[in-house]
Amino acid sequence: MVFLSVMRQVGFRFTGTHRGPDKFWRRRRFFKMTAHFVGRKRNCFRIAIKYVHRAMVFATKDRKLRKETVRDLWETRLEGACMEHNFTRKLLMDSLSRHNVLLNRKSLSNLAIWEPRTFQSLMNIAWVTAAQERIRGADGLGPAPKNVFVPQIEDEVD
Amino acid sequence: MSAVKRVQQWASFARVWHLFDARWQNPFDSGVLIAKYLKGLYKPLYGAQSLCGDHVVVINCRHVALPGNEWRKRVYFHHATYPGSQTWTPAWEMHTRNPVMVMKKAVYTSMHGNLQRRHTMMRLHLFADEEIDPEIAPRISNVIKQIRPVPERLDLMPEEKVKSFPQIADLDKDYVIPELKEYPNWESKFRKMKKEGKKK
Repeated sequence: MVFLSVMRQVGFRFTGTHRGPDKFWRRRRFFKMTAHFVGRKRNCFRIAIKYVHRAMVFATKDRKLRKETVRDLWETRLEGACMEHNFTRKLLMDSLSRHNVLLNRKSLSNLAIWEPRTFQSLMNIAWVTAAQERIRGADGLGPAPKNVFVPQIEDEVD
Repeated sequence: MSAVKRVQQWASFARVWHLFDARWQNPFDSGVLIAKYLKGLYKPLYGAQSLCGDHVVVINCRHVALPGNEWRKRVYFHHATYPGSQTWTPAWEMHTRNPVMVMKKAVYTSMHGNLQRRHTMMRLHLFADEEIDPEIAPRISNVIKQIRPVPERLDLMPEEKVKSFPQIADLDKDYVIPELKEYPNWESKFRKMKKEGKKK
């Protein structure tokens, strides 16, 4: 019998030869996942395995949910950023897309935090566009910012 | 982190104190607005977990204006957990007892019922009239714009302004101008009615 490493040797602790995966190492794979649990679901395999399966189900579901939550956060942040200037997020996104400015929620909210002047100038463009194009909801905002010149949007002809 | 950056961090997460004048404002609309400032929803770096909520000082809560016949129809429910201890207090009565309560409840109900709500409410400071606590007053650094303009009352206008207003037609000699009287004491009247109702 040849042991190439210490680790192999552990598997053959009690039985000379055996078939299938070793019980200890198989369980250890799951116990790694329960390391941060509290109570018996951390150390007792019978209980731990149930909670590992449950945790994996949650992880699968939340992979999708997390994207939605982060997107919601960007939206609330953008709303807050627009609220500082008495503007609205929907009008901002609508008028920027009409100009083919394809900045998404993530980059816009990042701009609002780290480059507030850039964000404000984008918002000014959006505001003037909203007033020119008479986008719904632009009337109640008050006068559009002055000294901002935005070209008229031409209708697309197929 | 350099010293400059550290100060920047303090500055961005410092609590700002806002002032809101509730005179002639709808408390239910202004509650929604105030809640945004209490939670810090008006900031681009808002996060539910980060401590970015601000303080809001509301003055003139006594002079709040409820829409329609809300003063009579709106009822505040309270239950002291003992059987039969439930009470329904109309808004006008609540307002006479505690002039701040209508505004407080309006802000409270405008937020979702989660564990954070009561802590958020601790940052709301309500005052019945224009006088503010002298400890709080010097901290205020921003004024929240009122939702609607406060109308000018005819009986409080200076006489010269009323007289100088252009009149379209002259009034008849027999025309009687009704005098503005104070409102009758509704509270005592309603209490009497309640007592009489109980006797029956």
